[in-house]
Amino acid sequence: MRALIRILTTLIGVAVAVVGALTVIEVLWAWWRPASAPLWIPWPQWLDQASTLTWQGTGPRVTAALVALAGLLLVLLSAAARRHHLALHDPAPDVTVTTSSRSLARVVGHRVRAETGVRSASVTATRAHVTVRAAAAPTDGDDTLRARLLEIVRDLVDDLPLREKPRVTVTIDSSRERRERHPEPSGSRPAAPGLRPGS
Amino acid sequence: MSRSSHAAVARPATTERTVTAVVGTLALLAGLLALVVGAGWLGADRATRPVADPVAVDWLGGSGVLGRLLAVLLGLVLLVLGVRWALRASRPEHHPDVEFDDAEGELRVSARAVTEAVQDDARGIDGVSRARVTLVGSQERPALRLLLALRRGTDIRMVWSALENRVLARARDALGLERLPAAVHLELDAAERHRVR
Repeated sequence: MRALIRILTTLIGVAVAVVGALTVIEVLWAWWRPASAPLWIPWPQWLDQASTLTWQGTGPRVTAALVALAGLLLVLLSAAARRHHLALHDPAPDVTVTTSSRSLARVVGHRVRAETGVRSASVTATRAHVTVRAAAAPTDGDDTLRARLLEIVRDLVDDLPLREKPRVTVTIDSSRERRERHPEPSGSRPAAPGLRPGS
Repeated sequence: MSRSSHAAVARPATTERTVTAVVGTLALLAGLLALVVGAGWLGADRATRPVADPVAVDWLGGSGVLGRLLAVLLGLVLLVLGVRWALRASRPEHHPDVEFDDAEGELRVSARAVTEAVQDDARGIDGVSRARVTLVGSQERPALRLLLALRRGTDIRMVWSALENRVLARARDALGLERLPAAVHLELDAAERHRVR
């Protein structure tokens, strides 16, 4: 996202510079030789055209909507290009340590999948929230699985020197569990749905 | 938290984000305003006026020298701003060389030499599977940016102390710097790079 914002800024910069240069050239040319204006840009034609269109017309309205939409997109992209790092406690005065939400999800995912009674799990992690969706193993009739996983993940997250402790939510995918107890004749699901990083 | 080490976490994108946000906001407002005018919410007669309103066109045309000068000035401002934004955003990040004085005079160490030495040290830490180090900041105030991938089950605090006591301390000593802010990004439980195709 930050690379995209850099490319966008380069393009915007080039566009703004070109518009500025052409404005200067056309204005000076029209000033110096009004008879032979315009130099490159057919702005008098544009002006004529614009004076026949009303604000109510379809063309201006569609253009306005597109401009507004493009503007909104730029604003959203700019907002999304912030730093997504998770801050860890500083080990020394001049050292800043960060990690990624992907890393946090990976750590939690590995730990949860290593637990008995878990058939598969997917983890979503953000700065403020870790969400675990686990599917219970078919043979395991363990009702305490959710509480057990919650405890484990909480301990694990507390153990990491994160500056902001995320809240932990664990859901046991019971529909998957039920289906697993009455397996469908065909189709094999992957053992682990994989990680879904939060951001 | 030290500001300089925090700044080294990632290449700053404040200017780029501001430019995009400001241009985006202007486009959004202009588009919405045009839609509002077209919908007739600012008076039905306004909606039926031409886009290039004769009143405005005449006023601009009749404004004489002042209007033209302002237009030229506006164009110049846009030109300068646009060139600055484009150059700033498209320039690669600066990696400063480090200079220090010794008995024989001045010695200049390239950013590459510094980072390779620190990188080798960092790879020697227990549990670190990959390390990438870059020198960022300015020549007067350099900072290190380290990306470390840790193997599964590595104790982060152990890595921290090894990093602080061995790697960073050595880097400071070698460069003769009292302060060398460092931003460390940890990839936890990282897979080893063995790719089978």
